[in-house]
Amino acid sequence: MEVPIAAYLPEALALAGALLTFLMDAAGVRRRSAIGGLSVVLYSLALLSVLGDLAVFPFTAFATIPSGLVDAGPIGPIQFTSFGILWQVIFLSASLLVAFASLSEGEGEREVPIFYGLLSLATLGMLLVALSADLVFLLLSIEITGISTYVLVAYARKDARALEASMKFYLIGALSTAISFFGASLLYGAYGTTSLSVLSKVPSAGSEMVMVGLGMLVVGLGFKVTAVPFHMWAVDVYDGAPDHVSAFLAAGSKKMGILAFITVFVASVRLFQVSNAWALYVALGALAVVTMTVGNVLALQQRTMKRMLAYSSISQAGYMLIGIAVDTPAALAGTTIQAAAHVLMKGGAFLFVAAMATIGVGNRIDDYRGLGHTHPATAASFAILLLSLAGIPLTLGFVGKFYLFAAAVEAQGMFIFLAIAGLLNSAASVFYYARILRIMYMVDPQPRSAGRWTPAVAHLADPGAGSTPPSHGGAKSAVGGRLLAEIQSLGVARWTAIVLCAAFTIVLGIYPTPLIDLANNAAFHLINNLP
Amino acid sequence: MSFVWLGLPDGTNFVMGTLVSPLGALMLIVVNVVGFLVVLYSNEYMAHEEGLPRYYAELMLFLAAMNGLVLADNYLEFILMWELVGLCSYLLIGFFWKKPSAASAAKKAFIVTRVGDVLFFLGVFILFSSLGHITSAAATTYPGTASTICSSTDPRWSCVGFAFTPPNANSAAPFLSAGSAIQSINFGGSSWLPTLAGLLILGGAAGKSAQFPLHTWLPDAMEGPTTVSALIHAATMVAAGIYLLAITSIFIGFTMTTAMVILAIGAFTSLFAGTMGLASPDIKRVIAYSTVSQLGYMAMAVGASSVLVDLPNSVYANQSGVAMFHLFTHAFFKALLFLSAGSVIHAIGGQQDIFKMGGLRRHLPITSTAMLVGALALSGIPPFAGFFSKDDLIGLTWTAASKAGDPLLYLFFALSVVGIFLTALYIFRLWFLVFSGGAPRDASLLSSSGHGEPSTMGSAAPHADPHAALVSAPSPASPAHGTGPHDPSWIMTAPLLVLSALAMVAGFLPLLPSIHALLPGLSWSVFGECFGSCSATAAGFDQLDAVLGGVSLALAGGGILVAWRVWGDGRVFRIPEGSVLAVPHRILFRKYYFDEVYDAFAVSVVLGVARAADWVDRYVIDGTVRGIEEIFSQVSRSGRRLQSGIVSSYAAWVVVGLLALLLFFVYVVPCLENACHSPFSLGF
Repeated sequence: MEVPIAAYLPEALALAGALLTFLMDAAGVRRRSAIGGLSVVLYSLALLSVLGDLAVFPFTAFATIPSGLVDAGPIGPIQFTSFGILWQVIFLSASLLVAFASLSEGEGEREVPIFYGLLSLATLGMLLVALSADLVFLLLSIEITGISTYVLVAYARKDARALEASMKFYLIGALSTAISFFGASLLYGAYGTTSLSVLSKVPSAGSEMVMVGLGMLVVGLGFKVTAVPFHMWAVDVYDGAPDHVSAFLAAGSKKMGILAFITVFVASVRLFQVSNAWALYVALGALAVVTMTVGNVLALQQRTMKRMLAYSSISQAGYMLIGIAVDTPAALAGTTIQAAAHVLMKGGAFLFVAAMATIGVGNRIDDYRGLGHTHPATAASFAILLLSLAGIPLTLGFVGKFYLFAAAVEAQGMFIFLAIAGLLNSAASVFYYARILRIMYMVDPQPRSAGRWTPAVAHLADPGAGSTPPSHGGAKSAVGGRLLAEIQSLGVARWTAIVLCAAFTIVLGIYPTPLIDLANNAAFHLINNLP
Repeated sequence: MSFVWLGLPDGTNFVMGTLVSPLGALMLIVVNVVGFLVVLYSNEYMAHEEGLPRYYAELMLFLAAMNGLVLADNYLEFILMWELVGLCSYLLIGFFWKKPSAASAAKKAFIVTRVGDVLFFLGVFILFSSLGHITSAAATTYPGTASTICSSTDPRWSCVGFAFTPPNANSAAPFLSAGSAIQSINFGGSSWLPTLAGLLILGGAAGKSAQFPLHTWLPDAMEGPTTVSALIHAATMVAAGIYLLAITSIFIGFTMTTAMVILAIGAFTSLFAGTMGLASPDIKRVIAYSTVSQLGYMAMAVGASSVLVDLPNSVYANQSGVAMFHLFTHAFFKALLFLSAGSVIHAIGGQQDIFKMGGLRRHLPITSTAMLVGALALSGIPPFAGFFSKDDLIGLTWTAASKAGDPLLYLFFALSVVGIFLTALYIFRLWFLVFSGGAPRDASLLSSSGHGEPSTMGSAAPHADPHAALVSAPSPASPAHGTGPHDPSWIMTAPLLVLSALAMVAGFLPLLPSIHALLPGLSWSVFGECFGSCSATAAGFDQLDAVLGGVSLALAGGGILVAWRVWGDGRVFRIPEGSVLAVPHRILFRKYYFDEVYDAFAVSVVLGVARAADWVDRYVIDGTVRGIEEIFSQVSRSGRRLQSGIVSSYAAWVVVGLLALLLFFVYVVPCLENACHSPFSLGF
């Protein structure tokens, strides 16, 4: 079947976002509202399009992929699967969230076009990963995002820590990419083709070669998803990168790694099912358990907010890996739900950290004391996001974890240990999330030094309301006035983004059925369409 | 109408939905008619209280939750709403939270009903695991209607179902035909599991409907405003337990053992509560005991209906409509009694001791007439509503006892018949003590111009009011002039009049086909003569029914006569010290020492358990948690050292990970599969 060019609309929009941004830069248009606004519009259009392709009710008019093409097998190096398209929704939500919230950032000299241009390029790579039906295409798509994000981390050129983070990110990234491609070449040697659809077949050459190749891919992709012990870059990079970039790395590009993992391994475990299926299951399961445990244990000790969130992000990746190890439609649906939840939770949480940084709150966890009283709406949102990360019921984080663990239990056998490990880890994680809640709500804010609360800083952070005098949080007694002050000091866009993240977490936590249905349907087709 | 709220990976769906079943429709009428009247009445009755926004907010939340409970189409949603009405009940009993007695009554109500709720949960868990999934796949047909199977989206009136269907949705029709539905549920061959599930659900109903032995909270719940007592603790919420039993008997069914236990508990409670009502000096508590007793009659009817269904080769359809009919009439006359009592309390400044009242008929003509109507209806004197429903209920129980032929059932039937005499006795004792005679025994009552909920926030008892003490002589002025007690304004009298009318005519309402359709299995009969539609299978009434009707009428009449002889015309019967009646009176007065027993139990056993739990919590759980935390922290501290910040060590870890994986794949896996490689020969 002929693929109409319109089927690539989301990818085209992301590419257009990058190209137009750099053109505007060349033409001297560097205002954040213009460039950021363009990205927000383009991502929104792309999001509408992919939602239409998924036949989500009010958006069906925006569908661009002929329905006959979806879940109909690979077309050359690409394929349209409902699973991939659902993940495109996740990716675009992450990009849109970061692009929108970044509207509240200050005007940089030359940095604004770089930030948005690279964001669009990274988004393009993520969208392409979701279309991949070929190993080389997949790895190259990952590299598009990878290289964009290496630079994105360092886009604030004068920040030494960001530069260092970028360099670490790049060095380990290069190593991992090399290992991935080496693994891919071994697979090519075994099969004589790079199409992913052959991975479930018995190779023409030795099976050890396939195993070594897959092992190398585990490492290369494990780097992207921050699986332990390939995770060490993540903490330094999340910590050192500008806050909005951290939000994008955690919310966006990590999900790309998860999807790549699923794309490669859901196909390849079928190969092992005939001979020694348990080996790959054990390897992935062990990876999942080690990842979530190490993430949680180290998160416990962190003193700064961003490093804590980075480790928590690692443990969340461990939960998502459970779904890949269990490898049933329900488990993959669970991973998808958890990934969607993680976009909201980690994206919103890093944006909150960013917002607090702009009004002069330090990065240490103790610096967050009393924020529940001074910034009621965003602090409450942050609290909801933390509860969701801990997996408290009535939040989307609970639904995702519950689905993952229930799928593991249902799969029987050794997978039950994955559910047990996940439960224990969830229980342990409550400890460090609850500590933050306590600090925000039960500890009174100490009088802050003037340097931390300078009006100039708040003013800088607030381009939308530049003429109004910036206000100190909590100075006004009336709730409405305090809320208004909060919005003004944090910026309308960023405030809205944080609150929306929490709202979606709660709404989808209470009534998750639409998302569950989408994920179940997509995962069912993914597994059943394998050759 | 239902939708999937949450689907689980194994295909279990939790649904939320609304369903107007006939029973539910009947409850909707009751809840909203009484609710409306009570809210209207509250406008005057509660006008002088503090915290009115809280009062109305809680009342509205209660009404919403009660409607939600009635409209729920599955047990999960039912439980959510059930808890919500329980919460509202707790909040409203404790409305005068500054009074310690109100606060402790609220706590007591919450804790005692919680015992029932836990049992109810366990019962539903058993059903849930036995039935498989809570699903709305197919609505079950209603007994008595044709065997139409309709989809869950079909809103037709005849198509109803508590969407708790058996795994095989197609078996909906036999599911409810003669013979208990519970036999068609797969309990894995277990015979005691369905009985246990039924008993646990009965536990929940007993908690909510204050059945023995969980009845202790309801009299104390009278600490709440009288309006709340009328709405929640007489007409609606306490009836939810009966509603639960009725719908469960229809949609799930009870086993024979459970059915007999329900009958026994109901019959016993009906007599047991009546005896306590005889000794209480508090106008509201007498009516509260009466509520417990009447709820016992309803539970007895559900049990009797289930016994008939469970008989071998049973020809009987489910007759829960009989219990629901009594629930329906009872809601009106009991709300009437409570609101009348409220009107009395309102008029005489918050006094609730009936021994201080007397002769109020001259001052409160409307109230006393309304209360008389309620009392006659409660006693079961025709043509008031209670007669018809109680007659059907007694007849049904007689049928069940005679068909089952179990001597125990005859015994419980006899208890319930004695209860009829007691009912008339205690309610007319109340009426005579309050209204008949010349003047109040406590003359100060006449001087107070009223408007006192006794529980007015923080104020002491009214007789401590120095102003009241000053004017001790009965006021000679006519009550119409407003100095003495007088009937309230139309806002409070209108609900009394409407409820009086309902208490008079509600018994005839099943003659309307539309109302009769809401009462499954009800055969409206008077002295054995069946009127309206009486289906052959539902009819369990023979000539004896006429005799039963006569007997119960005679008993009720006898009760009223005895009450007149003892308390009529201002007489006060005091039991002489040392007489044979003193001991039983003290037992009744102390409510069979149930509170003392429960308190002793709470102090010794519960506190002991609590201490043990506290010790376990402190040393075992906290210790474990701290231990784990300590271990985690230790590991965490050493783990942090690995995160050196040096990029080459990161790369080294990547390589270590790679090597571990490759070793596992290439050497360990084949070796475990008995095909070890020699370390240097890779099979490329």
